Amino acid sequence: MQTVKMVISGAVNAGKTEFIKTISEIEVVSTERRATDDTRLIKKETTVAMDFGRIAISDDLVLHLFGTPGQKRFDFMWEILAEGMLGLVILVDSTRPETFRETNRIIDFFVSYRDTPYVIAANKQDRPNAWSPEELRLALRQPPHIKVLPCTATDRESVKNVLLELLYVIQERSED
Amino acid sequence: MALVGNIRDFSLSDFLSLVDRGYKTGALHLSHNDQMARLYFEKGKLLLAARRPEDEKPELLVRLGVLNADQVAQACRLLAERGNGLTLSQILIDTGLVSADRLQQALMSHTEQSVYGLFAWPEGDFLFEHNQRPAPDAPLAPTPISIDHLIMEGVRRIDEWERIRDRIPSTDLVPRFLAPPGEKLKGMRLAPDEWKVFARINGRDTLAEIAQKTGLSDFDVCRAVYGFLTAGMLELVKRQRVLAAGMPPVEQPRLKKSLVNRIINRIRSM
Repeated sequence: MQTVKMVISGAVNAGKTEFIKTISEIEVVSTERRATDDTRLIKKETTVAMDFGRIAISDDLVLHLFGTPGQKRFDFMWEILAEGMLGLVILVDSTRPETFRETNRIIDFFVSYRDTPYVIAANKQDRPNAWSPEELRLALRQPPHIKVLPCTATDRESVKNVLLELLYVIQERSED
Repeated sequence: MALVGNIRDFSLSDFLSLVDRGYKTGALHLSHNDQMARLYFEKGKLLLAARRPEDEKPELLVRLGVLNADQVAQACRLLAERGNGLTLSQILIDTGLVSADRLQQALMSHTEQSVYGLFAWPEGDFLFEHNQRPAPDAPLAPTPISIDHLIMEGVRRIDEWERIRDRIPSTDLVPRFLAPPGEKLKGMRLAPDEWKVFARINGRDTLAEIAQKTGLSDFDVCRAVYGFLTAGMLELVKRQRVLAAGMPPVEQPRLKKSLVNRIINRIRSM
């Protein structure tokens, strides 16, 4: 059985859990990890709410979806999740400009050392005062070749579209 | 749809940069405690900055000593008669009541001072209304004002590391020009220390090395570079990406196209 992995990242409350829930074939699982930061001083085990979803592609191939923990103190998990990932979806809450700086930090982390295929999903486009994908591109300072896609994480077609767009980016880089 | 937020979270410099790069037309409404401001933009350039409603009225030109009250009244009468998409500034210049240069100079100075004051606001709600234009009788600069140097001025007033660290997390990063900076520089007025930093950017030296070579503090170098970044002139790269030696970038696994196609087909069918 071959497994491939995609990572869904974004600031707290960007919609990562919802995104994975909407498309996963299994109930989204929260995993537990031992924390390595100062929370360990308070208790030995700290729960890292890390979302995990799964899509069976065929009998011998499975796609795993991992949502990164949004809180800064769990940054150490990002490195682990990034290993061997196929591609990355960066979710942004389009209605909360206060999260754009954090989103940039996340993009920088995942992209700067790796040539990671990624797309940005401008989530919550169904809400009033959502910044449009083009405005988000400017606010996040993304170059024109990076796809910034409209998204509503609760809508299956919208989530499918984001994943497909990411897969098209991966497809361009894949070997014949 | 309007863009809303707070300059505490998305700074005024960042917003001006967005307007500049996005060639936005519209009005930016700002409020902080009992203060207000309204900035009008045309294709990414500033037309007018009002710190109070009276700044959008023709009488501003009397307060600035450009015209007397009779001349303003005369121009307003002509504007009402001719109308048809004309602006007060066009009437003033066409009728010779004031030269374009004099009008530009006075309104540019007023506009810049108005915007500089806004950078002192620690927070404030903003709302950008697309395509909202000033009234025809508003005193507009004949030539819309480039906002690059306003962005730099905003950055000069940053005195906390935290905001700068959001964009510049380490002094081991290497600043690199995105394109030859000539065109962008035209609209900017750099301070001597900023020139020192600017002249040392070569796409190889880290920020720490630039600080060492210029004798400036890390903070001063990073602040200047933050300004160049916000103005869209630079990018920061990690040294490993610049130099062939050292740790190579992590290779992504190369997948077979057939495998990717299988995943695509599966997602499509869901």
